[in-house]
Amino acid sequence: MNLSKLVYKNITRRRGRFLFTLLGITIGIASFVTFMALGGSLKDEIHRETAALGANLVVIPKGSCGYEQLSILTGDQMPTNISAAEIATIRAIKGLTVVPFLAQQTAINNKPVTVSGIEPEATLAFKRWQISQGAYFSNPDETGVVIGATAARQFDLKPGATVTVRGEKLPVLGILGETGGRDDATLFLSLPVAQRLFKSADKVSYAAIRVDDLARTEGYIEKIREATGLGVVSDKQMLKSVLGIVGTVNITLQMIAAVSVLAAAFGIINTMMAATYERKREIGILQALGARRRTIFLLFMLESGFYGIIGGVTGVITGLATAVIVTPYISQNAFTTFVKGSGSGDIIDIKMIAGSILFSTVVAIVAGIYPAWRAARLTPVEAISYE
Amino acid sequence: MNNIIRTEHAAKSYKSGEITTTALKDVSLEILQGSFTCIIGPSGHGKSTLMHLIGGLDRPTDGKVYIGDVEISRIPNSDLARLRGKRVGFVFQFFNLMQGLTAIENVEIAMMLAGVPDREQRVRAVKLLALVGLAEKAGAKPGQLSGGQQQRVAIARALANDPDILLMDEPTGNLDSVAEAEVLDLLQTLHRQGKTVVIVTHSDEVAKRAERIIRVKDGLVAH
Repeated sequence: MNLSKLVYKNITRRRGRFLFTLLGITIGIASFVTFMALGGSLKDEIHRETAALGANLVVIPKGSCGYEQLSILTGDQMPTNISAAEIATIRAIKGLTVVPFLAQQTAINNKPVTVSGIEPEATLAFKRWQISQGAYFSNPDETGVVIGATAARQFDLKPGATVTVRGEKLPVLGILGETGGRDDATLFLSLPVAQRLFKSADKVSYAAIRVDDLARTEGYIEKIREATGLGVVSDKQMLKSVLGIVGTVNITLQMIAAVSVLAAAFGIINTMMAATYERKREIGILQALGARRRTIFLLFMLESGFYGIIGGVTGVITGLATAVIVTPYISQNAFTTFVKGSGSGDIIDIKMIAGSILFSTVVAIVAGIYPAWRAARLTPVEAISYE
Repeated sequence: MNNIIRTEHAAKSYKSGEITTTALKDVSLEILQGSFTCIIGPSGHGKSTLMHLIGGLDRPTDGKVYIGDVEISRIPNSDLARLRGKRVGFVFQFFNLMQGLTAIENVEIAMMLAGVPDREQRVRAVKLLALVGLAEKAGAKPGQLSGGQQQRVAIARALANDPDILLMDEPTGNLDSVAEAEVLDLLQTLHRQGKTVVIVTHSDEVAKRAERIIRVKDGLVAH
């Protein structure tokens, strides 16, 4: 016999209570893990997507808020208010490389997919894409789609296959090499075809701009604003603005998760308090057999800790499973698009898993302190005489 | 022969709010090593309190209690716990076995608390269960054992750390006459092997087996 075996036997003796208490901490940690998994990878994703966009400046419709800026990074559907004339005006400013995008969405097999209308040559040079299969657009208004690597895998599309966008069957021209960003999950159409299918006339959603001289960025912003009256943000401003939105969402999620874990902690306190009352006599026997106060304290703390470790493990498994299973069903918006973009590979983060189990254990141990102290404080006679 | 237990003017009172209840008034006694002693007396007159004091489960409010040369009424709690584990084996009326553990685990737990290694615990627990005639019940849980068998497991547990003293509170109080006789025979065997046996009892059958009887009445010892 040893202390850990005794702890295990004590806990599992009342299976119903053990399971319900475990369920409490499991649910608490699972919600914590789910929210962390969903929200945790967003920050990295945003940095990655901003870098992948490759722009120093982004032109957006006037009056756009952070949400539109977030949509640029997530590939979410955006209003199309920037005219070809306005793009031409911007292009007239020297020192800028301007690439317009039409951001829309379609569905393949009932699953939403980002559609991006692009100027093939300009975008290829801007993004430095590689073509892994098939061919790229051969002229600026070719009818067909070039697909990101992840989307091609997801829908099992190869060059020569067809994709239906807005009721029109389009041939798959080629598959892009992995970029590591949202482009991997996007269908690209030539801009004129996209504008025709989505009835956008000659308009686009936003324009990404690379400047020749970074030192003159502020000057360029002013020039574009004066010339077009459109909104212009630098990549740094956009990053700050988007991270601000995500930060608020993350804090909200973390608070909800904290409440769940707190509720679970009270569940453990309740169980351990009940145990100290029910096992008063046993505590007395242990004391009569030579158990010191610190041994009784340790025994109850280990029981709490056991709940924390097991609850942490089951909570992490449940939370990750929930994150992976639920993610595709979350309704579409800019935030959840990011979540979807994260993929299960990013959701399973060893640091987060280890941290959650440690967190669960620490919470359980802290929850066990008062009941353990109560148990250890009993005198042998008080405990043995308990009826 | 030496005294193994000694009290000097030991008194114990309990306070509950404004009310003070005196359980033991002024008890001075000596119990010889290797003796078989019964403490008898009416209910509520201080027998169990006396047992708790001499077993180190409680401390006197006045006076002194010794086990061997150690004044146990003064030593720190942790030393007192260690002393209980090594020198005193307790047996209670209601057996007080740990319900979730098997018979052999109940015996092992006393050794675990004394720091005996796992393997040695198992070897010794098997021997002790054989000594009390329950070798074949080693894997049984308390609920699967009769009252007599449970009490024999409790005696095996009390012997786990080879204590000098066996302190028992109504050890046969919940047993039928056959089981009572079995337990008393076992206690006499242990006594013959050199253990100091002290039993708090109401039973004449038990008292008959004792070498010495200490009567407790109104919190005092009547020699």
